[in-house]
Amino acid sequence: MSNSTMNCGQAKRLLPPFLDEELSGRVREIVSTHLASCPACRAELEALRTDVGLLEQVRTPEVSPFLVTRVMAEIRERRRTAPQGFARLLRSLAAALMVAVSIGIGVWFGSGLAQTFTPVAENSTEAAVGYVESSTIGVYSLMLGGD
Amino acid sequence: MAAFEELVRRHQQGLFSYLYRMCRNSSDAEETAQAAMVRAWEKLATFRGASSFKTWLYRIGTNLCLNLRMRRKPTEELCETMAAPDVERPDAEYRQKVREETVRRALECLPDDQRAALVLLVYEDMSYKEIAETLGKTVRAVDSLLFRAKANVRKALAEDRAKGVI
Repeated sequence: MSNSTMNCGQAKRLLPPFLDEELSGRVREIVSTHLASCPACRAELEALRTDVGLLEQVRTPEVSPFLVTRVMAEIRERRRTAPQGFARLLRSLAAALMVAVSIGIGVWFGSGLAQTFTPVAENSTEAAVGYVESSTIGVYSLMLGGD
Repeated sequence: MAAFEELVRRHQQGLFSYLYRMCRNSSDAEETAQAAMVRAWEKLATFRGASSFKTWLYRIGTNLCLNLRMRRKPTEELCETMAAPDVERPDAEYRQKVREETVRRALECLPDDQRAALVLLVYEDMSYKEIAETLGKTVRAVDSLLFRAKANVRKALAEDRAKGVI
């Protein structure tokens, strides 16, 4: 499109926004100038206008007179049943506490299990030390480098 | 609450009509309109006034309607060829009814986004900018949607025009 003229292809692309009054002033002027001298594009514009006119004739039913009542009733019900303010805060804290307790229980159980599976070597060493301390033969063995 | 109720009263018919053309039946349109208004109430704190309340409300309605359509299988294929109307009947009321049904069918056969844009333009008198806000698109995208929508409506009506139905 040059600064002041356009061809039919360009004009036809712009006819819908032209009809909808969505074109900027300068572009609108250029389209208008083209339409003034182009019967084919004028006919296309009229066809578009006719289509819109047909669409406008398609009616819809009336909305139910009870819609507003139903909307407001639902809103009031949701407000009534939703936790409000301090009650909502208490619920959040209770939920956080439950999570913390669950984690704590898990850690506690984990520690208990670790003690059940104490390495054998530690117990054997203590048992061996106890035997040596309480056994004369054991002391002599150690002095002599025995097992 | 009283102020919100007033907003509901002001927008109920427009919203319902828009959703009727999108959902294709009254009960879905009413259900969606009600859900949209309740959702708007719940999200009122997030409405920052960047768009008008109407475009914001219609956007909620559009999303709910499209979600509903995705979840449901259509019970009727509305884009199939209807039985040929009796174009010889002289009574004006019948002919008007046929014309209306024909055009309604052409509109309902459009893809959802094209139909939404065209309905908002023709019936809600929205600007391209308002349509863009409602549908969450750019103005350029709306311009493209409307161009294709009008071309598709023309194409859908061409055969009926040739038969003299419209």
